[in-house]
Amino acid sequence: MNRFFLLTTALSMLVVTACAPGGGSGTESSSGNGSAEESDSENKVLEFWYIDPGEKEKVYEEAVARFEENNPDVEVKMLRAANDAYKQKLAVSMSGGNPPDVFHSWGGGWLNQFVEEGQVLDVTDSIDKEHFNELALDNATFENEVYGLPLGLSLDLVFYNTEIFDEYGLTPPETYDELVQIIETLKENDVIPLALANQTKWPGAYYLMNFASRIGGPELFNEAFTRDGRGFDDPAYVEAGEYIQELVEMDAFNSGFNGVPYDEGQGRQLMYSGQAAMMDITISFLNNVRTEAPEFEEKLDFFVFPEVEGGEGSSADVGASTGPVWSVAAASEHPDLATELIKELTSTETAEAYTNRTGSLTGVSGVEPEDEFVNRMYQIAEEANHLQMPYDQTLPPELAELHKDTTQALFGLSMTPEEAAEKMEAKAKEDLE
Amino acid sequence: MQQVHTSLSQVKAEAKVKAKKRKMKNVLTITLFVSPALIVYALYVIYPILATLNYSFYDWSGSNVGTFIGLQNYVQLFNDSIFWTALLNNTWITLTSVFVQIPLGLIMALMLFAPIKGIKLMSSVYFFPFLMSTVAIGLLWIYMFDPINGSINQLINFFGFENVAWLSGENSALIAVLFVIVWQFAPFYMILFRAAIVGIPEELYEAAEIDGAKPWHKFIKITLPLLMPTIVSSSILAIVGSLKAFDIFYVMTGGGPNHATELMGTYMFKQAFVNFNMGYASAIAFVMFFIALIVVIIIQVLDYYRQKKGVFSE
Repeated sequence: MNRFFLLTTALSMLVVTACAPGGGSGTESSSGNGSAEESDSENKVLEFWYIDPGEKEKVYEEAVARFEENNPDVEVKMLRAANDAYKQKLAVSMSGGNPPDVFHSWGGGWLNQFVEEGQVLDVTDSIDKEHFNELALDNATFENEVYGLPLGLSLDLVFYNTEIFDEYGLTPPETYDELVQIIETLKENDVIPLALANQTKWPGAYYLMNFASRIGGPELFNEAFTRDGRGFDDPAYVEAGEYIQELVEMDAFNSGFNGVPYDEGQGRQLMYSGQAAMMDITISFLNNVRTEAPEFEEKLDFFVFPEVEGGEGSSADVGASTGPVWSVAAASEHPDLATELIKELTSTETAEAYTNRTGSLTGVSGVEPEDEFVNRMYQIAEEANHLQMPYDQTLPPELAELHKDTTQALFGLSMTPEEAAEKMEAKAKEDLE
Repeated sequence: MQQVHTSLSQVKAEAKVKAKKRKMKNVLTITLFVSPALIVYALYVIYPILATLNYSFYDWSGSNVGTFIGLQNYVQLFNDSIFWTALLNNTWITLTSVFVQIPLGLIMALMLFAPIKGIKLMSSVYFFPFLMSTVAIGLLWIYMFDPINGSINQLINFFGFENVAWLSGENSALIAVLFVIVWQFAPFYMILFRAAIVGIPEELYEAAEIDGAKPWHKFIKITLPLLMPTIVSSSILAIVGSLKAFDIFYVMTGGGPNHATELMGTYMFKQAFVNFNMGYASAIAFVMFFIALIVVIIIQVLDYYRQKKGVFSE
């Protein structure tokens, strides 16, 4: 038996050595590349990973083309991966020590995870902070060091169907009580008041964030997040949960919303078909409308989440998010070139193309959208006194998941607001202190 | 005589050496043939399992170096209520696969032999679900189960019942996905059973008929016992498949709502790639492997005794 093992070992070694020439030639050819790089310095390659398809992708391609024109000796390899697959792919490449030079993120806690591991390049000294919307750049700034440049900025608004509102003589609500009245009118007329696709959990989380900010003021979350002042078990959070459950109990949402996925579009379908009247969602909804149901756009309008009477917040506190935020990996072989690339990806020219062609807002300051509809959103962002980044992008991953899970359970009426708040606070104590 | 002796012993010794050499040669040949597969197996199966075991002792986020924390991940795991929900859900899938899916596959296979018109066509229709990709099936059924516009609910409405929000109820979601799993995989067992039924000699049935056996008796006394090996191997496939289940749940519910349809597989994925707890996820993965290993060993042992003593079949 021993001999058998000895033999297998010897044999496997033999096989390995037999493979070695192949490996050797591999290194040879790559070192050959290296020498070529030295001699005519032509093969510098930057890897660039992003997630957006369609028109946004074209905008990135054009920015990359401009970058390559200015740096003729560099080749940029672009790679697109879909959202969830991208998150996994990037995490694996980071842990494998072979990350792309330039990569997409949403700023916030997800990016910070990699920053804390020392995987992301600090670009503070290479950029002009004035070039960006301060609140957007903050979302990629950790301990006063900038780790990402925000190209995209998104707002959270309540979209509604003007045709339905006109039919029943409704006007956009300014307070929660007005919203409740609208909901009742719509229900009497067999229209679903609010469309919600909450299998993915983040669409419902907007309600919690909005209510919490309206009740406890825009600083509530920051106090809880920085562990300075109120916590996640603050009465405002409990009350926010109660408001959510009140809406659920009055059947304000389409039935079975916790099982309806967002990306597949059934939630949006309710809006397009006129079965539902309102939807609280990010402004990427506009882009969806334009590709999925362009004829619906003429019926489309929006309002900011209504105020809650007696609350500390106002409708000038708007939910927002950043993305794409471009970052450079610390392991990049050409950090200067990669930094140049993310600057080109957030240049005024790129930002103008981005906002005008994709119906989105941008984190680059002073870029005003030409489109009237988008421009109205732009004004809201400009006049906002506070932009609340989504909790799930700000909090560290595990706490972010808990926030979404507890909120989904609130919507499902399977957890009380007190329970949800206590769970959040307990985990926050563990993870944030 | 002595000479003869020595020469004989010499011959014997020589023969021994020769035999040894031949044996050596055999070992060499065998190893040579086995080694490529062995190396691949070691590299892609054994090594990852051991590496997972190793990672499970660390508090590790995926990059950088982790800190060694001994068995703490396992302690946390056994106190984690979500993990127990996941384990329970995996058990439900296993039970459904073995006690619904396999019998259904058997019934479908038997139907293929029944003198029904157009059954040939039905055999391909039955087989369709198994041919589709799981993601496509997941999306298809998400639309079918849609709480407002889904065709399942329209059908229910037609019979005068209220809409059911299949995928959003904490109890109904599991049932809905289990239904899809049965729908998807029963055809696979149908094909296995069909092949096995074809292999049963016709004479046995003829002999039984002469003895005056009713169809039901023929099934109980002939078909079922002779199908036992197929049923056992189907069960192994079903059980191991159920323990590893991931894709259809990931697509249809994502483990939600509120972890009601969480599986060991989806929970491991979440811990690894959403929460970045690679160490903890490795602990889950290793427990999954361990459970599957134990279950397969139990089945193999039972099957060994069955073949030896004929415990289950006559």
